[in-house]
Amino acid sequence: MKKSITWLAATLLVLALVSWPLTSPLSLSPADLPEHIANPANGELVFHAGGCTSCHGETLAGGLELKSDYGTFVVPNISPDLATGIGSWTTLDLVNAMMLGTSPDGNHYYPAFPFTSYTRMNVQDVIDLKAYMDTLEPVENDVGPQDLDFPWSLRRGIGLWKLLYLDQGPVVPAGREDPVYERGRYLVESAGHCGECHTPRNLLGGLQTSRWLSGGPNPDGEGSVPNITPHQDGLASWSAADIAYYLESGFTPDFDTVGGSMVKVQENMALLPDPDREAIATYLKAIPALP
Amino acid sequence: MMRVTWITAVLAALFFATSGWASESVQEQRHDLMESAKDAAKPVGGMLKGELEFDAATAMESFQVWSDVAAQAGDLFPEGSETGYDTEAKETIWTDRDGFNQQLADFTAAVDGAIEASPQSLDELKMAAGPVFKVCKSCHEGYRVEDEN
Repeated sequence: MKKSITWLAATLLVLALVSWPLTSPLSLSPADLPEHIANPANGELVFHAGGCTSCHGETLAGGLELKSDYGTFVVPNISPDLATGIGSWTTLDLVNAMMLGTSPDGNHYYPAFPFTSYTRMNVQDVIDLKAYMDTLEPVENDVGPQDLDFPWSLRRGIGLWKLLYLDQGPVVPAGREDPVYERGRYLVESAGHCGECHTPRNLLGGLQTSRWLSGGPNPDGEGSVPNITPHQDGLASWSAADIAYYLESGFTPDFDTVGGSMVKVQENMALLPDPDREAIATYLKAIPALP
Repeated sequence: MMRVTWITAVLAALFFATSGWASESVQEQRHDLMESAKDAAKPVGGMLKGELEFDAATAMESFQVWSDVAAQAGDLFPEGSETGYDTEAKETIWTDRDGFNQQLADFTAAVDGAIEASPQSLDELKMAAGPVFKVCKSCHEGYRVEDEN
């Protein structure tokens, strides 16, 4: 595993150099933003759907260390603190960060930050989110730099990775006009970023969308993340009401309680309105059943 | 003489059988107790999900089971029972006994409150059972080993 990672790293590095012009971080300009009056109330719902606190902490002050095969990711402070948080960011900065994985100073973010999901968001929702986050309490906490192993410490290479895996298209298109399904798809595939843990990754760390939501190894520990497709290995025995109730209460149909890293996710989902949890359930019952 | 040996044997067998029964391990006892709490949650959850018709008597029966659980659980985690019977009890029960006891106290209070409320409608049931479920979840989060499968 270690050896193949080293080889991959070397290959990637060469590719990155050859494709230097292609790996430039993309940014939108102010003119690209739509006319939209920010609605912080909707922003609050987006905030919960996005599960920001799951990684960034209740106060958004960051600091959590995520150990991985690539080194240690340090979760940034995204509270509106001017010096150590993102208080100085413009709305455009947040849009570029979340939807293109590009920082205000024009660098790539590591995909530990799930911009590959957030890229599917409606830009209006990100604008609303910014308005809501500006109302939160600033917390001073300097989390320091990222601590990645070479060559992952060279951010430019992520540009190549983005060419492969930054895709704004739907993973499981509806193929029919159903606003409930579409709402569920939106919540699961973009803001909710469920696929980031529930979908297995390939050697490059990209999501295997052909195995969408069929479970995978636990990214931050032992064991695995469950299959949530309607397969018998997944949620086949759960009704849509079971799924919605689980997200609301944290109880499985067998009346066991939610556990592990899903606890925080479920608690965020519980803050959404009922129709949103029902929409998620509708989507999860409709996607391809995979073992 | 033969007869006495037989009687002794039978008595001995009975003694060991019954003592074996009586000394069912605490790990097993608390497992069964938690299972009973879970089974009692099913009809209440079914009503909250809209799968079962609201029934005040059934809900109260479940509350009563939880009340028994609350009364018995505290004694079933003695020192020395940290492992065995594939227990899912987390070591924090023993390293942070005060925190665990607080969870038990919260559970008792929530169940007492639910019984006191004696819900007569689905909305009242939701109000009564909510705090109980909340303690189930928070106690499992801190004091139960997660089998991430």
